[in-house]
Amino acid sequence: MAHANLLTPPSRIPPQTALQLSQKAPLVLSSAPTSSLPWPLSLLFSRETPETWAIHENLLLAALRTGDDAAARQILDRLTTRFGAGNERMIALKGLYDEALAKDDKELEKVFNDYEKVLKEDPTNVSVRKRRIAVLKSLGRTADAITALTVLVENSPTDAEAWAELSELYASSGAWGQAIFCLEEVLLVMPNAWSAHAQVATLHYLSSSTSVPALTLALRHFARAVELNDSYLRGYYGLKLVSQKLLPLLSESSGSKRNAEEDDVAPPKPQSVKKLEEIATAKLGEIVRQCSATKQGQSGYSQAEIEAARELLNRDGRTER
Amino acid sequence: MAILGTAFNAVGLIFLTHAVYSSSEHTAAFPHSPLPLDITIELIVSILVLSAGIVASSPQLKPIRWAKWGGKVAREGQRGEGRWTREGEEILSEGDGFAFLGLDNGIGGDGEGRRGFWDVRGKRKEYTAWVKKGGEN
Repeated sequence: MAHANLLTPPSRIPPQTALQLSQKAPLVLSSAPTSSLPWPLSLLFSRETPETWAIHENLLLAALRTGDDAAARQILDRLTTRFGAGNERMIALKGLYDEALAKDDKELEKVFNDYEKVLKEDPTNVSVRKRRIAVLKSLGRTADAITALTVLVENSPTDAEAWAELSELYASSGAWGQAIFCLEEVLLVMPNAWSAHAQVATLHYLSSSTSVPALTLALRHFARAVELNDSYLRGYYGLKLVSQKLLPLLSESSGSKRNAEEDDVAPPKPQSVKKLEEIATAKLGEIVRQCSATKQGQSGYSQAEIEAARELLNRDGRTER
Repeated sequence: MAILGTAFNAVGLIFLTHAVYSSSEHTAAFPHSPLPLDITIELIVSILVLSAGIVASSPQLKPIRWAKWGGKVAREGQRGEGRWTREGEEILSEGDGFAFLGLDNGIGGDGEGRRGFWDVRGKRKEYTAWVKKGGEN
């Protein structure tokens, strides 16, 4: 199970981890990070560090999700006295608190209207714009959320997080082309992000798992992902899966060469696809073996990932134990 | 390794200070004679020892190549290095720098998603459902 660390919370927080995180609230709240002395002395005797506030923010999120509203209020007050109520991030956190406490959609609408009011005064407050979109999503108005996000990325086209969110919204409504476009924008901002490459590949694969050009693009992006990260389990898994799908299609269409040349994506050679599959199989086997050798919680892979990889290998009937 | 580095640093610093002090005294006493050989040797030796100590006490190197570095992060995950904040949270080693894009949890998965768009109500509902179910794994 993931470590409950407030400074760097795990990327996936199941409820029991969330509970562990929010149970740290009394400990953190018991000692004040700022000094109560008057101004020049408070600078000398302050015990706050940058980590203090990261921990407070993460604790606020944990308290809100576990329904510990009293602790959340205290943390929010602490943050407000430290950074001031007018701080952009504080406005967003305050909004987050209101959202969590909203009992029904009507109260959520009220929070939404508050956001609108804030944005009317200061349209450049990106945190609040993102919260506003999150509320739209939470209300189930996905189409509105997409429209709002397109405006946001038009105004700040280097915001990779917003592009990634837009891509996921498009993908969840089945608009694969738009989703892929958005992720390519993410790649323009951060071309070294292996997870973005793997995600583009996944979207290509999901958009049509029987057409050669889509599978070719998926293969290319998975190959790039493992080129950027030589132990990326998801990348090798995808590489193996896609090449398995691609191989029979390539041998089928080898008769109709002309058709393949008309596409703007040249299909790969069957030999190289076979080689890629072998590499992926070898690497997956190595990762699975290493993980069963190390102790639980010592490796960076999650148990579910390892299980999925083992299953894929077993399906192939080529596992070495 | 840390003790060795500290020892080298201490010895090197003592010799360096001594050599500098000696040469300053020497030039004050005999302004026109060249520096004696033992001071020069002490200076060079102290600098070598100090350099060795600095290298020995430096933190472990990170892989230069991107793929190797990424692979290390993926294989080992984040682990503690024995340092804690005042609140009792362990400071972990460097993790996946692209985790904030929230792309590794699938489409509409149960991950945390992106920080700026965090779905507080959904997560709250998930937690309530878990508690009602009995709060087990």
